[in-house]
Amino acid sequence: MAEDTEQTPEEQKPPSIPETGDAQDETKSVESARNEESQHGEGSEGGGTDEFGAIQENGDELSEDAAALKEELDKIKVEPPQIQDPSEIFDPAEFPESYKENLPKENLVLAFAENFRRQYVHLYRDRKPLFLNPVNECGVEKFVCTTIRPTLLPYKILYDWDGAADFVSDYLNFTPLDPAHELPKRLLSASTVLKRQKGNCFEYSTVLCSFLIGAGYDAYVISGYANKETCLMDETREICPLLKKKEEKKVEEKKKEQKKYTVKPPKDLQSRFEQKMAQRTTKAAEDEAERLKREEEERQAVLEKPPPDPLHGLRVHSWVIVLSGKREVPESFFIEPLTGNAHPITSDNYLGIESLWNNQNYWVNMQDCSEGVKKMNYDLDDCTLWEFMFPSDDKPKLLLPEDELDDFEDDEEDDEKEDERTKKIIDIPPSWIEPIDIKPRDFQMRCPQGKKAKLYKHAKLEKFAHYLMKDGLVCRLSMYEDKELTDLKQIKEYYSNRVDKLKERVHNHRTGWIVEFYKPGRHRCLKEHHYKASGPGPESERRMVFYDEARVDGLQMREEMPTEMTEHFVNRDDFLYYRHVQFGKRPKKFGPAEVQSPRPIIKMVEKYHHNEKKPANEDIAEIVFSVAEERIHVIYHTEDDKISSCTREFLKPGNTEEKGATIVWDPENHTTFQVDMHSKDKKKVEIYEMMCKLIDAENNCRDRTRQSEEEVQAILNDRVREESTSELEISVYDTERNEKAKKHRAELERLQAEEKKRRQEMELDYLAPFLAQVGDPEKITPKLAYKLKEDCLSDLKQRLIDKANLIQARFEKETQELQKKQAWYQQNQVSMQKDDEEEYLNYCSEAMFRIHILELRLNRHKEMAPHKYMELEKKIRSDPRLAEFF
Amino acid sequence: MSRLYDTIEPAVIDEEILQTAVEEQGPKEEAGKIAQDEGIDFSDVTSLRLDYKNILKIDNLWCFTSLVKLQLDNNIIEKIEGLDTLVNLIWLDLSFNNIEVIEGLTKLVKLEDLTLYNNRIQKIENLDTLKELHVFSIGNNDIKELDNVTYLRRFKKLQTLNISGNPISEHEDYKIFVVAHLPMLEYLDYRLVDKTSKQAAYEKYEIAILELQHDEKQAEKKAEEDLTKKKENDRHMNAYVEGLSGPYLFESMYAEDAEGHKLKMIPGVDELLLCTYKEKFTEICEQIFEYGLAKHDERMVEKDTFLECLNDAKNENKALAAEKIEDFLDYKKKLWADLNQISDQKMLEMSIAEYNQRTTALWEMLMMFEMQLVDQLEDAIKDFERNMSDMVSAFVETVQGYFTQCRDLENQHHERLVELSIITLEKVVKNEMDEEIPDDVRELFVDKDTIINAVSSSHDVHLLKIDNREDELITRINGWMTDFIEETHQKEEISRNRARVTEINNLIDHLRDELDNLDLQTAPY
Repeated sequence: MAEDTEQTPEEQKPPSIPETGDAQDETKSVESARNEESQHGEGSEGGGTDEFGAIQENGDELSEDAAALKEELDKIKVEPPQIQDPSEIFDPAEFPESYKENLPKENLVLAFAENFRRQYVHLYRDRKPLFLNPVNECGVEKFVCTTIRPTLLPYKILYDWDGAADFVSDYLNFTPLDPAHELPKRLLSASTVLKRQKGNCFEYSTVLCSFLIGAGYDAYVISGYANKETCLMDETREICPLLKKKEEKKVEEKKKEQKKYTVKPPKDLQSRFEQKMAQRTTKAAEDEAERLKREEEERQAVLEKPPPDPLHGLRVHSWVIVLSGKREVPESFFIEPLTGNAHPITSDNYLGIESLWNNQNYWVNMQDCSEGVKKMNYDLDDCTLWEFMFPSDDKPKLLLPEDELDDFEDDEEDDEKEDERTKKIIDIPPSWIEPIDIKPRDFQMRCPQGKKAKLYKHAKLEKFAHYLMKDGLVCRLSMYEDKELTDLKQIKEYYSNRVDKLKERVHNHRTGWIVEFYKPGRHRCLKEHHYKASGPGPESERRMVFYDEARVDGLQMREEMPTEMTEHFVNRDDFLYYRHVQFGKRPKKFGPAEVQSPRPIIKMVEKYHHNEKKPANEDIAEIVFSVAEERIHVIYHTEDDKISSCTREFLKPGNTEEKGATIVWDPENHTTFQVDMHSKDKKKVEIYEMMCKLIDAENNCRDRTRQSEEEVQAILNDRVREESTSELEISVYDTERNEKAKKHRAELERLQAEEKKRRQEMELDYLAPFLAQVGDPEKITPKLAYKLKEDCLSDLKQRLIDKANLIQARFEKETQELQKKQAWYQQNQVSMQKDDEEEYLNYCSEAMFRIHILELRLNRHKEMAPHKYMELEKKIRSDPRLAEFF
Repeated sequence: MSRLYDTIEPAVIDEEILQTAVEEQGPKEEAGKIAQDEGIDFSDVTSLRLDYKNILKIDNLWCFTSLVKLQLDNNIIEKIEGLDTLVNLIWLDLSFNNIEVIEGLTKLVKLEDLTLYNNRIQKIENLDTLKELHVFSIGNNDIKELDNVTYLRRFKKLQTLNISGNPISEHEDYKIFVVAHLPMLEYLDYRLVDKTSKQAAYEKYEIAILELQHDEKQAEKKAEEDLTKKKENDRHMNAYVEGLSGPYLFESMYAEDAEGHKLKMIPGVDELLLCTYKEKFTEICEQIFEYGLAKHDERMVEKDTFLECLNDAKNENKALAAEKIEDFLDYKKKLWADLNQISDQKMLEMSIAEYNQRTTALWEMLMMFEMQLVDQLEDAIKDFERNMSDMVSAFVETVQGYFTQCRDLENQHHERLVELSIITLEKVVKNEMDEEIPDDVRELFVDKDTIINAVSSSHDVHLLKIDNREDELITRINGWMTDFIEETHQKEEISRNRARVTEINNLIDHLRDELDNLDLQTAPY
């Protein structure tokens, strides 16, 4: 660069360049980093002109030649090409008529608004212009109220304000206003915004307001002013909402009741004075600590405070207010559409309100905003606080009742008056924008391309659409120690739809611990898994938490250290609740060790709850198996009125390890302590049996420990396998993603098609049998055709006649039978029982019915048969195979 | 079988049989050896089998008190007896005997499994107390009446029944009848009873069963009512006001008063005096009753709070002491581990000295806690005693007031009666009596002394009754109070304190012994 300047004379006075550069920097510093990007084109242009300006300024000092050269050079003008973002230009052909033209009603409203604006400007000269008639995609002016189109989409989360706000903030990408202190010239329709998935704050608010009003909220778009962070969606000074701790409700501790006979506490023999002095010193220390802490906090706050903003109070912004009343909203609040967060109406972020509107009306704020929006009143009916644009029907107090009466009386006379009134109450035309629609697929993707990253104070939040990431990741929150996001502290990852039920993983980079959380339904009921990133293998430090209610052994938690393992149980039938095992070092083995031998056990401890059914001093509370010392130490529960517990200690006889060996009894091996001196000593047999049981218990405990070790190993193996495949679950109802279901459906469709085809083929070929008779000739001669026709028809004729005969035969049979019965009846009528007579009558009526039906059928057959015959004849004539001959 | 009986002498359960049976069925191998050395107490045996012994009479089993399972099958027992002490029995087998009547089982309330298979029983009876019965086998007996089955309805837990091989099983509807009447059965005569057959059976006998159910419900209701009545009565008893809720006291006054009844016959007495007198008297009685119940409740609440507070204090104290012991045991564990490492004699001695010191400190600490508790409890008991005696004396005073009212009423009544009798006497003397008077009453109106004597003797009886009732009430309530206070003193202060002190000393001794024992092991080092 320096070499270049030497060569070109016009660049001899570059001292001004740094200046302009500085100026440029200043203007830049005003804008945010994001702004910088979008402004880049213009910025370079500005820089160019500055350069020329600087040359002119310094022109006086130039020589004649130089001046001539300068003149010459001045002729050469460079016009930097205007780069227009193609996405900012719209093809009017894409849009329907309503975008390109205004209806008369809309024009009326626009004229009304213009009138309002003129009056407003006239009355309040020093106020900023109102946001009334921005142009749309096609450059047509549209009134802002008509840009809101209340919509309720068929997605559940859009029904509530928080879901809708979150969705809008996620779904759209933010473009800042340019310049930041002026209202935008253009307001795109909600449907375009959603299609492009980007917009400025006004477009965000309009979209959100459309959803909220559609869902029944009393919501309004606000045009006003806000601080820099809000306007530029800069959340780097906010704490991430996911990190905000929910305040736990403290369970109020029940104060211990002072009962009538509560014993007096023992006398306190401590010196009051000393206590006081001690208290004083501790208090001083605490105060000191508190002070230091406060100072530190203040220092931190000063550090983090944003630099002063030269445009403070001028930055135009738009957000949404939801007024109380509808949908059980108890208190009015703001929604920041860029972030989707709710703010109280006393929020510091918002500095002033110019106007607000919904789909029906437009109000201009008449209140003083010099101290922010804290003291604003949102009673929109109060015309001293809010200047409305249209007197609306909802607010009858604007109409005097006499007027209405008058209308009734002189209805015909007052045509003019009528006109005036209609003018006064202009109803807002329907929205001009296309219906808002979001495809389920886009809705599921949520963010543009399904990804979005947000920066917060000391944290970065990345969101991903479901099924977008191979491993099911939906959200990643990285926490940092410092503001610049370089010193990673912790990463939290949220997963969904994973086959291995993993739902959350927290990796603490400071301690190196990784915690994984699982949903219920895993094999072995794992709930949480804490382990060190450095030691994922077995026999290292870890903690596993289980869904104990789903486990047969009631295991709740298993903690492991390199040489220790602790298990906690709940709700077990044998009252076991704790088991602790201490391992020793593996004995060194020589030679190849293919299978790692299990670690030797040094000590095992089991603890039991008290079984109310057993006497306390016979119910074991704790067993210590000192495997290395060959000792078993038993501690019993303490009886209600005792303070010490019974104990027993056994020295294991030497031969317990041998299989089949009888355990030898030696009274020396057993010592006991009984709390109650007068209790009867146990019999030797009982003690012997007890010892045998304990030895069994020890073996059992050892087996369990080995099983636990195996289980840990198995779980770890499972995890490794799952991590490497990272399969995702797909719901059977998810028709789009479920490949299997898709295949199944396709298969079904194919089968159906085949079936249909087959059925078509199956359609009766009446000529087939006759063709077969003549041996399916390739070619049909006229003679043959004639014969075929004759055969076919005669066959049908024969069939029809046969059928008629059959019906007749049945008819006759029935009739005969009836006659027989009648004869029989007449014969026996005298001696007949009443039951028999009834039976006979029943029979008669039934027989008559049958005969009647047969008669009907015959008649119908007779009627139909010629038609059928004709039909077949016609068909044969038109049959493609025979048609040529007839 | 019968020939077998003829040839073999009937046996008796004697020491020898029992001893061999116990030894045979007792622990085996090493444990058996130990047991043999030590001897087996009959009272420890839980299961005993005495089958094929040709036993005629059940006897000498009284010492097997913890027996859970007893098999006496395949003998020639004729009568169930001598089992009353075996209250822990759950499993009893008396099959293949010659029993004719079910009896002697009423004490075995824990019995769950009873087998009387192959006997000569004709009637199922005397089993009412066996509420826990799960399995009952009475096959191959001589039961002829289907009604016996309905007897089994009372065993709500009965799941398995074997009744085959009886004359009733020949009955064509036998099975359906049993299933219908015993809906809780799951197995009948070795077979599972399925739902459909249950339903079918129920439908068949619906009316009869509904009737039975109705009767059972009535009986249940009645039993419940009786129970509540009894409870109510107990409550009155405990409040010392039983029989004061109505005119019972008044009626009892007249119950033993022969003159009184006669005097009732005097014209004017019955209508005028007795009615109003009785009403007023009853009213006062009822007042005493209500008052007594209210005060009783108050006393019980007081007592409960007192006991609760005592328990709280004890638990708190126990937690403190247990914590100290726990701490000490932890220390001991550590020390034991250390002692094995230390080889320096001096260090060893120092550790031992420290241990001893700490043991003493523990003793002192525990004793201090105990003394504290004793003080605290003493105060509380004293407070309670004072309050309770105040309550009781206030109650007694009020009740005495009521009884004075009763006596006043009686006195008034007496005066009126005297007046009336004198008037009547005059009438009788002057023969102006209009109404008929029974002869025995007329006898009283011989002269003034007689009638006055009669009236006053009646009065005396009445007063005596009232006094007795009053005395009884007061004695009982005072008795209760002194008993309770005495008991609390004894239990809470003296016994508890002694037990605790013994326990502490025992524990400390044990801790010291342990060190000594350990020393023996470590000494050689």
